[in-house]
Amino acid sequence: MRVPIIRLGRILLISIQTDLTDNDALCLQSDLIKKISDTEAQGVAIDITALDVVDSYMARIINDTVCMAQLLGADVVISGVQPFVALSMVEMGSDLIRAECVFNLEQAMKRLEIRMSTRGDICLKRDNYVQ
Amino acid sequence: MSSDLIRVPINGISDIICARLTVRREAARIGFSTADQTRVATAVSEVARNVINYATEGVCTLRDDSNSDELHLQVTIEDHGPGIDNVVEAMRDGYSTGGGLGAGLPGTCRLVSLFNIESRQGLTRVTFSLIRKRA
Amino acid sequence: MSAKAFSKLLSTIIEHNRDVLNDEWTSHVMETMGAKYPGILNRDEIHRHADTYITELSAYFKDWNEESSAIQAGSRLGVVVSELSGDHAKRGIRPMDTALYVVAVKRTITKKLITTLSDSPDQLNGCVDVLGVLLDQLTLLTFDSYTTAREKVITQQSQSLLELSTPVILLWNNVLLLPLVGVIDTIRARQFTERMLEAITRHEGIVTIIDVTGVPVFDTGVARHIMKAVDAAQLLGSKIVMTGISPEGAQTLTKLNISFSNVISRVSLRAGVAEALKMVGRRIETINGAAQQ
Repeated sequence: MRVPIIRLGRILLISIQTDLTDNDALCLQSDLIKKISDTEAQGVAIDITALDVVDSYMARIINDTVCMAQLLGADVVISGVQPFVALSMVEMGSDLIRAECVFNLEQAMKRLEIRMSTRGDICLKRDNYVQ
Repeated sequence: MSSDLIRVPINGISDIICARLTVRREAARIGFSTADQTRVATAVSEVARNVINYATEGVCTLRDDSNSDELHLQVTIEDHGPGIDNVVEAMRDGYSTGGGLGAGLPGTCRLVSLFNIESRQGLTRVTFSLIRKRA
Repeated sequence: MSAKAFSKLLSTIIEHNRDVLNDEWTSHVMETMGAKYPGILNRDEIHRHADTYITELSAYFKDWNEESSAIQAGSRLGVVVSELSGDHAKRGIRPMDTALYVVAVKRTITKKLITTLSDSPDQLNGCVDVLGVLLDQLTLLTFDSYTTAREKVITQQSQSLLELSTPVILLWNNVLLLPLVGVIDTIRARQFTERMLEAITRHEGIVTIIDVTGVPVFDTGVARHIMKAVDAAQLLGSKIVMTGISPEGAQTLTKLNISFSNVISRVSLRAGVAEALKMVGRRIETINGAAQQ
Protein backbone atom coordinates (compact mmCIF):
# COMPACT_ATOMS: atom_id res chain seq x y z
CA MET A 1 0.00 0.00 0.00
CA ARG A 2 1.42 3.37 -1.03
CA VAL A 3 0.95 6.27 1.35
CA PRO A 4 0.03 9.46 -0.54
CA ILE A 5 2.20 12.55 -0.08
CA ILE A 6 0.21 15.75 -0.37
CA ARG A 7 1.85 19.02 -1.31
CA LEU A 8 0.59 22.28 0.19
CA GLY A 9 2.83 25.09 -1.03
CA ARG A 10 6.28 24.35 0.30
CA ILE A 11 5.05 21.86 2.85
CA LEU A 12 4.63 18.14 2.25
CA LEU A 13 1.94 16.50 4.26
CA ILE A 14 1.75 12.80 5.03
CA SER A 15 -1.04 11.22 6.96
CA ILE A 16 -0.51 7.55 7.64
CA GLN A 17 -3.92 5.88 7.84
CA THR A 18 -3.13 2.23 8.57
CA ASP A 19 -0.50 0.06 10.15
CA LEU A 20 2.55 -0.02 7.89
CA THR A 21 4.59 -3.06 6.98
CA ASP A 22 8.34 -2.58 6.83
CA ASN A 23 8.20 -2.44 3.05
CA ASP A 24 5.44 0.18 3.06
CA ALA A 25 7.53 2.27 5.40
CA LEU A 26 10.68 2.00 3.31
CA CYS A 27 8.66 2.80 0.22
CA LEU A 28 7.23 5.89 1.89
CA GLN A 29 10.72 6.92 2.91
CA SER A 30 12.08 6.81 -0.63
CA ASP A 31 8.93 8.44 -2.10
CA LEU A 32 9.26 11.26 0.41
CA ILE A 33 12.89 12.11 -0.12
CA LYS A 34 12.41 12.03 -3.86
CA LYS A 35 9.47 14.40 -3.55
CA ILE A 36 11.41 16.75 -1.27
CA SER A 37 14.18 17.04 -3.74
CA ASP A 38 11.77 17.39 -6.68
CA THR A 39 9.67 20.11 -5.08
CA GLU A 40 12.25 21.72 -2.84
CA ALA A 41 9.88 21.40 0.05
CA GLN A 42 10.94 23.29 3.16
CA GLY A 43 8.75 21.49 5.62
CA VAL A 44 7.37 18.00 6.13
CA ALA A 45 4.53 17.09 8.45
CA ILE A 46 4.02 13.41 9.18
CA ASP A 47 1.03 12.22 11.14
CA ILE A 48 1.44 8.80 12.72
CA THR A 49 -1.80 8.58 14.71
CA ALA A 50 -2.61 5.27 13.02
CA LEU A 51 0.58 3.55 14.16
CA ASP A 52 -0.32 1.72 17.32
CA VAL A 53 2.97 -0.14 17.52
CA VAL A 54 6.32 1.52 16.90
CA ASP A 55 9.10 -0.95 17.49
CA SER A 56 12.80 -0.18 17.28
CA TYR A 57 12.88 -0.85 13.55
CA MET A 58 10.02 1.50 12.77
CA ALA A 59 11.53 4.11 15.09
CA ARG A 60 14.73 3.83 13.11
CA ILE A 61 12.94 4.25 9.79
CA ILE A 62 11.24 7.37 11.13
CA ASN A 63 14.51 8.79 12.45
CA ASP A 64 16.37 7.98 9.25
CA THR A 65 13.64 9.72 7.28
CA VAL A 66 13.87 12.80 9.51
CA CYS A 67 17.61 12.84 9.07
CA MET A 68 17.42 12.48 5.29
CA ALA A 69 14.79 15.20 5.01
CA GLN A 70 16.95 17.55 7.05
CA LEU A 71 19.90 16.87 4.78
CA LEU A 72 17.66 17.85 1.90
CA GLY A 73 16.83 21.09 3.68
CA ALA A 74 13.36 20.31 4.97
CA ASP A 75 12.21 20.72 8.58
CA VAL A 76 10.18 17.80 9.91
CA VAL A 77 7.42 17.83 12.48
CA ILE A 78 5.79 14.58 13.61
CA SER A 79 2.26 14.54 14.97
CA GLY A 80 -0.08 12.14 16.68
CA VAL A 81 2.26 9.81 18.57
CA GLN A 82 -0.09 7.59 20.59
CA PRO A 83 0.42 7.85 24.35
CA PHE A 84 1.18 4.17 24.85
CA VAL A 85 3.43 4.05 21.82
CA ALA A 86 5.47 6.81 23.45
CA LEU A 87 5.49 4.84 26.69
CA SER A 88 6.68 1.64 25.03
CA MET A 89 9.39 3.53 23.21
CA VAL A 90 10.86 5.10 26.33
CA GLU A 91 10.55 1.85 28.24
CA MET A 92 12.36 -0.09 25.57
CA GLY A 93 15.06 2.52 25.63
CA SER A 94 15.11 2.62 21.86
CA ASP A 95 15.99 5.90 20.24
CA LEU A 96 13.29 8.50 20.60
CA ILE A 97 12.00 10.43 17.65
CA ARG A 98 14.56 13.04 16.72
CA ALA A 99 12.11 15.62 15.50
CA GLU A 100 9.68 18.02 17.06
CA CYS A 101 6.44 16.26 18.04
CA VAL A 102 3.01 17.86 18.30
CA PHE A 103 -0.54 16.61 18.83
CA ASN A 104 -2.11 16.86 15.39
CA LEU A 105 -1.53 17.82 11.79
CA GLU A 106 -3.01 21.26 12.26
CA GLN A 107 -0.43 22.10 14.91
CA ALA A 108 2.27 20.52 12.82
CA MET A 109 1.44 22.89 9.95
CA LYS A 110 1.50 25.86 12.30
CA ARG A 111 4.87 24.87 13.72
CA LEU A 112 6.32 24.42 10.26
CA GLU A 113 5.05 27.79 9.14
CA ILE A 114 6.66 29.45 12.17
CA ARG A 115 9.94 27.65 11.60
CA MET A 116 9.93 28.32 7.89
CA SER A 117 9.34 32.04 8.44
CA THR A 118 12.77 32.28 10.06
CA ARG A 119 14.58 30.63 7.17
CA GLY A 120 16.86 32.62 4.95
CA ASP A 121 15.62 30.88 1.81
CA ILE A 122 11.95 31.63 2.38
CA CYS A 123 12.10 34.54 -0.06
CA LEU A 124 13.25 32.36 -2.91
CA LYS A 125 10.44 31.69 -5.29
CA ARG A 126 10.73 28.20 -6.53
CA ASP A 127 10.64 29.24 -10.18
CA ASN A 128 13.39 31.84 -10.33
CA TYR A 129 15.51 29.48 -8.27
CA VAL A 130 15.32 26.46 -10.47
CA GLN A 131 15.68 28.07 -13.84
CA MET B 1 -9.26 -20.19 33.00
CA SER B 2 -6.42 -21.29 30.80
CA SER B 3 -6.82 -22.44 27.85
CA ASP B 4 -6.49 -22.84 24.21
CA LEU B 5 -3.34 -21.84 22.46
CA ILE B 6 -3.45 -19.33 19.66
CA ARG B 7 -0.88 -19.93 16.93
CA VAL B 8 0.19 -17.34 14.40
CA PRO B 9 2.66 -18.36 11.69
CA ILE B 10 5.36 -15.84 10.88
CA ASN B 11 6.39 -16.42 7.29
CA GLY B 12 6.78 -12.96 5.88
CA ILE B 13 7.02 -9.28 6.67
CA SER B 14 3.25 -8.80 6.66
CA ASP B 15 2.82 -11.54 9.27
CA ILE B 16 4.52 -9.27 11.79
CA ILE B 17 1.48 -7.01 11.66
CA CYS B 18 -0.84 -9.98 11.86
CA ALA B 19 1.01 -11.34 14.92
CA ARG B 20 0.90 -8.08 16.80
CA LEU B 21 -2.76 -7.50 16.00
CA THR B 22 -3.56 -10.97 17.30
CA VAL B 23 -1.56 -10.49 20.48
CA ARG B 24 -3.15 -7.11 21.09
CA ARG B 25 -6.62 -8.58 20.67
CA GLU B 26 -5.81 -11.44 23.00
CA ALA B 27 -4.30 -9.11 25.62
CA ALA B 28 -7.43 -6.96 25.44
CA ARG B 29 -9.65 -10.01 25.84
CA ILE B 30 -7.74 -11.12 28.94
CA GLY B 31 -8.25 -7.65 30.39
CA PHE B 32 -4.88 -5.91 30.10
CA SER B 33 -4.86 -2.11 29.92
CA THR B 34 -4.24 -0.33 26.62
CA ALA B 35 -0.73 0.50 27.79
CA ASP B 36 0.00 -3.17 28.43
CA GLN B 37 -1.56 -4.20 25.12
CA THR B 38 0.81 -1.83 23.38
CA ARG B 39 3.79 -3.13 25.40
CA VAL B 40 3.17 -6.74 24.49
CA ALA B 41 2.33 -5.95 20.85
CA THR B 42 5.59 -4.00 20.56
CA ALA B 43 7.50 -6.88 22.12
CA VAL B 44 5.98 -9.35 19.65
CA SER B 45 6.77 -7.05 16.76
CA GLU B 46 10.36 -6.78 17.89
CA VAL B 47 10.94 -10.52 18.25
CA ALA B 48 8.96 -11.46 15.13
CA ARG B 49 11.16 -9.16 13.12
CA ASN B 50 14.23 -11.06 14.32
CA VAL B 51 12.58 -14.24 13.07
CA ILE B 52 12.07 -12.75 9.61
CA ASN B 53 15.57 -11.32 9.48
CA TYR B 54 17.48 -14.38 10.64
CA ALA B 55 15.34 -17.43 10.16
CA THR B 56 12.79 -16.32 7.54
CA GLU B 57 9.96 -18.25 9.19
CA GLY B 58 8.69 -19.23 12.58
CA VAL B 59 5.60 -19.39 14.73
CA CYS B 60 4.18 -17.29 17.53
CA THR B 61 2.08 -18.99 20.22
CA LEU B 62 -0.08 -17.20 22.78
CA ARG B 63 -1.32 -18.73 25.99
CA ASP B 64 -3.66 -17.28 28.59
CA ASP B 65 -2.26 -18.33 31.99
CA SER B 66 -4.40 -16.02 34.09
CA ASN B 67 -5.77 -17.09 37.46
CA SER B 68 -8.00 -15.43 40.03
CA ASP B 69 -5.16 -13.23 41.33
CA GLU B 70 -3.38 -12.13 38.22
CA LEU B 71 -3.61 -11.62 34.49
CA HIS B 72 -0.97 -13.60 32.67
CA LEU B 73 -0.32 -13.75 28.94
CA GLN B 74 2.51 -15.95 27.78
CA VAL B 75 4.01 -15.52 24.33
CA THR B 76 6.38 -18.02 22.72
CA ILE B 77 8.09 -17.28 19.43
CA GLU B 78 10.08 -20.10 17.83
CA ASP B 79 12.05 -20.50 14.67
CA HIS B 80 14.33 -23.13 13.17
CA GLY B 81 16.95 -20.74 11.88
CA PRO B 82 20.69 -20.73 12.52
CA GLY B 83 20.31 -19.62 16.15
CA ILE B 84 21.98 -16.78 18.00
CA ASP B 85 25.70 -17.28 18.57
CA ASN B 86 25.99 -15.55 21.86
CA VAL B 87 22.76 -15.11 23.77
CA VAL B 88 24.37 -13.19 26.65
CA GLU B 89 25.93 -10.80 24.17
CA ALA B 90 22.65 -10.40 22.26
CA MET B 91 20.88 -9.36 25.46
CA ARG B 92 23.33 -6.53 26.05
CA ASP B 93 22.25 -3.03 25.11
CA GLY B 94 23.72 -1.87 21.85
CA TYR B 95 24.19 -5.29 20.32
CA SER B 96 22.71 -5.98 16.92
CA THR B 97 23.79 -7.90 13.88
CA GLY B 98 20.90 -7.32 11.55
CA GLY B 99 19.97 -3.66 11.66
CA GLY B 100 17.47 -2.13 14.03
CA LEU B 101 18.68 0.11 16.77
CA GLY B 102 20.33 -2.67 18.69
CA ALA B 103 17.65 -2.20 21.30
CA GLY B 104 15.72 -5.20 19.99
CA LEU B 105 15.99 -7.94 22.56
CA PRO B 106 17.09 -6.02 25.66
CA GLY B 107 14.38 -3.44 24.91
CA THR B 108 11.77 -6.15 24.57
CA CYS B 109 12.92 -7.57 27.87
CA ARG B 110 12.15 -4.25 29.57
CA LEU B 111 8.59 -4.19 28.22
CA VAL B 112 7.48 -7.50 29.74
CA SER B 113 7.45 -9.19 33.15
CA LEU B 114 9.34 -12.39 32.36
CA PHE B 115 11.70 -12.96 29.49
CA ASN B 116 13.63 -16.05 28.48
CA ILE B 117 15.60 -16.98 25.42
CA GLU B 118 17.16 -20.27 24.40
CA SER B 119 19.01 -20.70 21.18
CA ARG B 120 21.02 -23.32 19.37
CA GLN B 121 21.57 -24.31 15.77
CA GLY B 122 18.12 -25.08 14.36
CA LEU B 123 15.99 -23.81 17.24
CA THR B 124 15.60 -20.41 18.78
CA ARG B 125 12.83 -19.97 21.30
CA VAL B 126 11.94 -16.67 22.93
CA THR B 127 9.36 -16.85 25.70
CA PHE B 128 8.00 -13.85 27.53
CA SER B 129 5.05 -13.10 29.78
CA LEU B 130 3.11 -10.07 30.79
CA ILE B 131 1.79 -10.44 34.34
CA ARG B 132 -0.35 -7.96 36.24
CA LYS B 133 -2.19 -8.24 39.53
CA ARG B 134 -5.93 -8.10 39.12
CA ALA B 135 -7.38 -4.83 40.39
CA MET C 1 -12.95 -49.10 69.64
CA SER C 2 -11.67 -47.47 66.45
CA ALA C 3 -11.22 -43.79 65.78
CA LYS C 4 -14.25 -44.04 63.51
CA ALA C 5 -16.39 -45.32 66.35
CA PHE C 6 -15.15 -42.55 68.65
CA SER C 7 -16.00 -40.00 66.03
CA LYS C 8 -19.52 -41.39 65.69
CA LEU C 9 -19.94 -41.27 69.45
CA LEU C 10 -18.58 -37.73 69.56
CA SER C 11 -21.00 -36.70 66.84
CA THR C 12 -23.93 -38.17 68.75
CA ILE C 13 -22.91 -36.42 71.95
CA ILE C 14 -22.49 -33.07 70.19
CA GLU C 15 -25.81 -33.46 68.37
CA HIS C 16 -27.54 -34.42 71.60
CA ASN C 17 -26.20 -31.44 73.55
CA ARG C 18 -26.05 -28.87 70.80
CA ASP C 19 -28.17 -26.24 72.53
CA VAL C 20 -26.18 -26.49 75.74
CA LEU C 21 -22.87 -26.45 73.90
CA ASN C 22 -24.00 -23.53 71.84
CA ASP C 23 -24.96 -21.48 74.89
CA GLU C 24 -21.84 -22.36 76.80
CA TRP C 25 -19.52 -21.56 73.92
CA THR C 26 -21.29 -18.27 73.30
CA SER C 27 -21.06 -17.28 76.96
CA HIS C 28 -17.45 -18.33 77.15
CA VAL C 29 -16.49 -16.27 74.11
CA MET C 30 -18.47 -13.27 75.34
CA GLU C 31 -16.81 -13.48 78.74
CA THR C 32 -13.28 -13.84 77.49
CA MET C 33 -13.29 -11.33 74.65
CA GLY C 34 -16.59 -9.49 74.49
CA ALA C 35 -15.13 -6.63 76.53
CA LYS C 36 -12.09 -6.36 74.29
CA TYR C 37 -14.11 -5.73 71.15
CA PRO C 38 -17.15 -3.73 72.21
CA GLY C 39 -19.45 -3.10 69.29
CA ILE C 40 -17.58 -5.59 67.13
CA LEU C 41 -18.61 -8.84 68.74
CA ASN C 42 -22.21 -9.21 69.83
CA ARG C 43 -24.05 -12.03 71.44
CA ASP C 44 -26.62 -12.74 68.71
CA GLU C 45 -24.00 -12.99 66.07
CA ILE C 46 -21.76 -15.25 68.08
CA HIS C 47 -24.78 -17.39 68.77
CA ARG C 48 -25.45 -17.71 65.05
CA HIS C 49 -21.81 -18.55 64.41
CA ALA C 50 -21.88 -21.11 67.18
CA ASP C 51 -24.93 -22.72 65.64
CA THR C 52 -23.41 -23.31 62.20
CA TYR C 53 -20.03 -24.16 63.64
CA ILE C 54 -21.37 -26.82 65.98
CA THR C 55 -23.65 -28.24 63.32
CA GLU C 56 -20.69 -28.64 60.96
CA LEU C 57 -18.53 -30.13 63.72
CA SER C 58 -21.14 -32.73 64.38
CA ALA C 59 -21.55 -33.45 60.66
CA TYR C 60 -17.79 -33.77 60.30
CA PHE C 61 -17.50 -36.37 63.04
CA LYS C 62 -20.51 -38.24 61.76
CA ASP C 63 -18.90 -38.77 58.33
CA TRP C 64 -15.41 -39.14 59.70
CA ASN C 65 -13.09 -41.68 58.19
CA GLU C 66 -9.35 -42.14 57.97
CA GLU C 67 -8.93 -40.81 54.43
CA SER C 68 -11.08 -37.72 54.73
CA SER C 69 -9.93 -36.69 58.19
CA ALA C 70 -7.65 -33.89 56.93
CA ILE C 71 -9.51 -30.62 56.86
CA GLN C 72 -9.61 -28.96 53.46
CA ALA C 73 -10.24 -25.26 53.12
CA GLY C 74 -12.98 -26.16 50.65
CA SER C 75 -14.85 -28.63 52.88
CA ARG C 76 -17.98 -27.43 54.65
CA LEU C 77 -16.38 -27.15 58.06
CA GLY C 78 -13.31 -25.62 56.43
CA VAL C 79 -15.43 -22.97 54.74
CA VAL C 80 -17.22 -22.09 57.98
CA VAL C 81 -13.91 -21.65 59.82
CA SER C 82 -12.07 -19.79 57.08
CA GLU C 83 -14.99 -17.44 56.48
CA LEU C 84 -15.10 -16.68 60.15
CA SER C 85 -11.35 -16.01 60.27
CA GLY C 86 -11.47 -13.87 57.16
CA ASP C 87 -14.34 -11.91 58.62
CA HIS C 88 -12.41 -11.39 61.85
CA ALA C 89 -9.35 -10.25 59.96
CA LYS C 90 -11.37 -7.62 58.10
CA ARG C 91 -12.92 -6.36 61.33
CA GLY C 92 -9.55 -5.96 63.01
CA ILE C 93 -9.90 -8.73 65.57
CA ARG C 94 -6.43 -9.94 66.52
CA PRO C 95 -5.21 -13.31 65.20
CA MET C 96 -4.73 -14.72 68.70
CA ASP C 97 -8.31 -13.93 69.67
CA THR C 98 -9.58 -15.41 66.42
CA ALA C 99 -7.76 -18.63 67.21
CA LEU C 100 -9.11 -18.62 70.76
CA TYR C 101 -12.59 -18.07 69.37
CA VAL C 102 -12.32 -21.18 67.23
CA VAL C 103 -10.53 -23.28 69.84
CA ALA C 104 -12.87 -22.37 72.69
CA VAL C 105 -15.26 -25.04 71.47
CA LYS C 106 -12.75 -27.69 72.51
CA ARG C 107 -13.07 -26.70 76.12
CA THR C 108 -16.84 -26.63 75.97
CA ILE C 109 -17.11 -30.03 74.29
CA THR C 110 -14.43 -31.61 76.50
CA LYS C 111 -16.34 -30.50 79.61
CA LYS C 112 -19.47 -32.11 78.25
CA LEU C 113 -17.58 -35.32 77.39
CA ILE C 114 -16.18 -35.56 80.91
CA THR C 115 -19.62 -35.43 82.47
CA THR C 116 -21.23 -37.74 79.89
CA LEU C 117 -18.50 -40.39 79.69
CA SER C 118 -17.30 -40.28 83.28
CA ASP C 119 -17.81 -44.03 83.70
CA SER C 120 -15.92 -45.17 80.57
CA PRO C 121 -12.44 -43.60 80.53
CA ASP C 122 -11.49 -45.40 77.29
CA GLN C 123 -14.28 -43.77 75.35
CA LEU C 124 -13.53 -40.43 76.96
CA ASN C 125 -9.87 -40.67 75.98
CA GLY C 126 -10.68 -41.68 72.43
CA CYS C 127 -13.17 -38.86 71.90
CA VAL C 128 -10.88 -36.20 73.38
CA ASP C 129 -8.13 -37.47 71.13
CA VAL C 130 -10.20 -37.24 67.94
CA LEU C 131 -11.43 -33.82 68.97
CA GLY C 132 -7.87 -32.65 69.68
CA VAL C 133 -6.60 -33.72 66.27
CA LEU C 134 -9.36 -31.82 64.53
CA LEU C 135 -8.97 -28.66 66.60
CA ASP C 136 -5.22 -28.57 65.88
CA GLN C 137 -5.99 -28.58 62.20
CA LEU C 138 -8.68 -25.95 62.59
CA THR C 139 -6.21 -23.70 64.42
CA LEU C 140 -3.80 -23.90 61.53
CA LEU C 141 -6.58 -23.27 59.05
CA THR C 142 -7.74 -20.28 61.06
CA PHE C 143 -4.29 -18.82 61.04
CA ASP C 144 -3.90 -19.42 57.34
CA SER C 145 -7.26 -17.93 56.37
CA TYR C 146 -6.68 -15.01 58.67
CA THR C 147 -3.35 -14.20 57.06
CA THR C 148 -4.73 -14.58 53.56
CA ALA C 149 -7.63 -12.27 54.32
CA ARG C 150 -5.29 -9.74 55.92
CA GLU C 151 -3.01 -9.80 52.92
CA LYS C 152 -5.97 -9.20 50.68
CA VAL C 153 -6.97 -6.19 52.76
CA ILE C 154 -3.43 -4.85 52.58
CA THR C 155 -3.27 -5.32 48.81
CA GLN C 156 -6.58 -3.54 48.41
CA GLN C 157 -5.42 -0.70 50.59
CA SER C 158 -2.17 -0.23 48.73
CA GLN C 159 -4.10 -0.35 45.48
CA SER C 160 -6.49 2.35 46.61
CA LEU C 161 -3.54 4.35 47.86
CA LEU C 162 -2.06 4.01 44.41
CA GLU C 163 -5.31 5.25 42.90
CA LEU C 164 -5.39 8.23 45.20
CA SER C 165 -1.82 9.23 44.94
CA THR C 166 -1.40 10.25 41.31
CA PRO C 167 -4.06 12.64 40.11
CA VAL C 168 -3.51 14.53 36.87
CA ILE C 169 -5.06 17.96 37.20
CA LEU C 170 -6.24 20.12 34.32
CA LEU C 171 -4.92 23.43 35.64
CA TRP C 172 -5.94 25.56 32.71
CA ASN C 173 -6.79 24.89 29.06
CA ASN C 174 -3.88 22.84 27.71
CA VAL C 175 -2.00 23.03 31.00
CA LEU C 176 -1.75 19.92 33.17
CA LEU C 177 -0.41 19.54 36.68
CA LEU C 178 0.99 16.29 37.98
CA PRO C 179 1.82 16.54 41.68
CA LEU C 180 4.02 13.63 42.70
CA VAL C 181 3.79 12.72 46.35
CA GLY C 182 5.63 10.02 48.23
CA VAL C 183 7.99 7.29 47.22
CA ILE C 184 8.28 6.75 43.46
CA ASP C 185 8.89 3.07 42.76
CA THR C 186 8.62 1.27 39.44
CA ILE C 187 4.92 0.46 39.78
CA ARG C 188 3.95 3.98 40.75
CA ALA C 189 6.19 5.45 38.08
CA ARG C 190 4.53 3.28 35.45
CA GLN C 191 1.14 4.28 36.71
CA PHE C 192 1.65 8.04 36.80
CA THR C 193 3.33 7.96 33.41
CA GLU C 194 0.41 6.11 31.85
CA ARG C 195 -2.07 8.51 33.40
CA MET C 196 -0.12 11.55 32.44
CA LEU C 197 0.17 10.43 28.81
CA GLU C 198 -3.53 9.67 28.61
CA ALA C 199 -4.38 13.06 30.06
CA ILE C 200 -1.97 14.85 27.71
CA THR C 201 -3.67 13.25 24.73
CA ARG C 202 -7.17 13.85 26.03
CA HIS C 203 -6.69 17.51 26.93
CA GLU C 204 -3.98 18.34 24.41
CA GLY C 205 -1.73 19.32 27.25
CA ILE C 206 0.70 21.70 25.60
CA VAL C 207 2.47 22.13 28.92
CA THR C 208 2.68 19.61 31.75
CA ILE C 209 3.93 20.70 35.15
CA ILE C 210 5.52 17.91 37.17
CA ASP C 211 5.67 19.00 40.78
CA VAL C 212 8.10 17.00 42.92
CA THR C 213 7.74 18.99 46.15
CA GLY C 214 6.21 15.90 47.78
CA VAL C 215 8.91 13.46 46.72
CA PRO C 216 11.05 12.80 49.79
CA VAL C 217 14.11 11.23 48.16
CA PHE C 218 15.47 12.18 44.79
CA ASP C 219 17.88 9.49 43.65
CA THR C 220 18.95 7.97 40.33
CA GLY C 221 15.94 5.63 40.29
CA VAL C 222 13.41 8.43 40.74
CA ALA C 223 15.27 10.64 38.29
CA ARG C 224 15.27 7.89 35.69
CA HIS C 225 11.54 7.31 36.08
CA ILE C 226 10.82 11.01 35.72
CA MET C 227 13.13 11.29 32.73
CA LYS C 228 11.24 8.51 30.99
CA ALA C 229 7.96 10.29 31.67
CA VAL C 230 9.44 13.51 30.31
CA ASP C 231 10.69 11.79 27.14
CA ALA C 232 7.33 10.14 26.53
CA ALA C 233 5.45 13.40 27.09
CA GLN C 234 7.72 15.16 24.62
CA LEU C 235 7.06 12.46 22.03
CA LEU C 236 3.40 13.40 22.23
CA GLY C 237 4.19 17.09 21.87
CA SER C 238 3.89 18.32 25.43
CA LYS C 239 6.47 20.58 27.07
CA ILE C 240 7.51 19.84 30.62
CA VAL C 241 7.97 22.28 33.47
CA MET C 242 9.40 20.75 36.62
CA THR C 243 8.85 22.38 39.97
CA GLY C 244 9.75 21.86 43.59
CA ILE C 245 13.20 20.29 43.46
CA SER C 246 14.87 20.85 46.83
CA PRO C 247 18.43 22.16 47.10
CA GLU C 248 19.52 18.70 48.25
CA GLY C 249 17.73 17.19 45.26
CA ALA C 250 19.55 19.55 42.90
CA GLN C 251 22.86 18.63 44.53
CA THR C 252 22.22 14.91 44.23
CA LEU C 253 21.10 15.16 40.63
CA THR C 254 24.15 17.16 39.63
CA LYS C 255 26.46 14.72 41.39
CA LEU C 256 24.73 11.92 39.52
CA ASN C 257 25.28 13.81 36.30
CA ILE C 258 21.59 14.18 35.58
CA SER C 259 20.79 17.60 34.20
CA PHE C 260 17.19 17.42 32.94
CA SER C 261 18.39 19.67 30.17
CA ASN C 262 15.19 19.24 28.18
CA VAL C 263 12.88 20.63 30.85
CA ILE C 264 12.37 24.04 32.37
CA SER C 265 12.82 23.81 36.12
CA ARG C 266 11.45 26.29 38.65
CA VAL C 267 11.93 26.19 42.36
CA SER C 268 8.32 26.77 43.33
CA LEU C 269 5.05 25.57 41.91
CA ARG C 270 4.00 29.22 41.81
CA ALA C 271 6.82 30.12 39.42
CA GLY C 272 6.17 26.95 37.43
CA VAL C 273 2.51 27.85 36.94
CA ALA C 274 3.44 31.34 35.75
CA GLU C 275 5.94 29.85 33.30
CA ALA C 276 3.46 27.28 32.02
CA LEU C 277 0.73 29.87 31.51
CA LYS C 278 3.11 32.04 29.55
CA MET C 279 3.79 29.11 27.23
CA VAL C 280 0.11 29.00 26.32
CA GLY C 281 -0.07 32.78 26.07
CA ARG C 282 -1.76 33.55 29.39
CA ARG C 283 -0.81 35.28 32.60
CA ILE C 284 -2.24 35.96 35.99
CA GLU C 285 -2.98 39.65 36.63
CA THR C 286 -4.25 41.82 39.42
CA ILE C 287 -7.81 42.91 38.76
CA ASN C 288 -8.05 46.71 38.36
CA GLY C 289 -9.35 48.38 41.48
CA ALA C 290 -9.16 45.28 43.58
CA ALA C 291 -8.24 45.79 47.21
CA GLN C 292 -4.49 45.77 47.68
CA GLN C 293 -3.37 43.71 50.58
